[in-house]
Amino acid sequence: MDLLFRVVIFVPVLFLVAVVVVAQQHSTAQETVKAASKRAARWLVWTAALLLAMTLLELLFIGF
Amino acid sequence: MADSNRTDPAKGNGLPAFIMGFVPGLLQWHLGQKQQAVTAFASCTAVLFLGWVVVGERLFYWGLGVPDGQSSFDNFAHLGLPVLPEVLNLPAQVAGALMAYDGSATGLRMQRLPRELEHIAGWVTAASGMLAAFWAAAGHWSLRLRRDGDGAAAAPVANPALCAGLSWLVPGLGHAKVGQKDKGALMGAAVVAVFALGLVFSSGHAVDRAQYGVWWIGQNLFGGGSLFAALVTGPMRSVETPIDLDLGIVLCTVAGLMNLVVMCDAYTIAERSVFPVPASGATNEEAVG
Repeated sequence: MDLLFRVVIFVPVLFLVAVVVVAQQHSTAQETVKAASKRAARWLVWTAALLLAMTLLELLFIGF
Repeated sequence: MADSNRTDPAKGNGLPAFIMGFVPGLLQWHLGQKQQAVTAFASCTAVLFLGWVVVGERLFYWGLGVPDGQSSFDNFAHLGLPVLPEVLNLPAQVAGALMAYDGSATGLRMQRLPRELEHIAGWVTAASGMLAAFWAAAGHWSLRLRRDGDGAAAAPVANPALCAGLSWLVPGLGHAKVGQKDKGALMGAAVVAVFALGLVFSSGHAVDRAQYGVWWIGQNLFGGGSLFAALVTGPMRSVETPIDLDLGIVLCTVAGLMNLVVMCDAYTIAERSVFPVPASGATNEEAVG
């Protein structure tokens, strides 16, 4: 439950971080939001991949 | 537009200029801006000692490590070097530390003793370091203008260092100053939202220099947020440790680091009003020519 709560917090914060990061390449808020949505989605995929890899490593070295 | 003397716009001002930036006003003095140099030195020194009057030896306790009277770390502490961001205002910080440091058992005890109004005074001493950084940025900007600028034609929409300083206090205000109001509001809202989330999850205890000094260095990159915490949430009595305190501390620090990006972006936008980025595919030489 605690992990789920933190994941729920993680997603909007990831988007807000993406807003600040991609804003450097844009000059209007509209362009920034559009680009930040794409960037945040890409980061989410990477996060999922990282979580999966860590879970697999855990299963491999520690077991169920 | 600028770059008339064909210097590579990406080239920095060099190591000597970087080192000179640690002494408020030295860059301005070097550039012949004597009045600004005196103002920079006096303002940074006055702000530091204004806070120091209240916090005293306590400042040494807020460094990257705690002096214990035995380790070699104490030599750095004696000079006030591990205390960030005050060390950016190097001469006043070192002079104050040399005068105030007491490595005896009584002195070390005094460092651990909380003071009245230490939250706000700690913010003020830190503000002196940030102020020194912005004066250094202003000096570097003047150096850049002198090196690459085109005389009267080289005038930015706003002083880049001022834009960065405004963004430190209110994220996005620097962007408003250079004309990108909606983008500034969006970036500012993002920083404030993450900082506010951090404060909510930690029941207001995430931003506390006395408790979490190293995290506070990052959190203080959002000066308006750390000021709010110093005035409102910092002095609040802590009854029990909030369950999500760790999450709150991380979020507030992330917000500070996000604001570092906002400050750099505000500086860059003002800078590019004079030194535009070469079109993609074009070399610097082509852009200059």
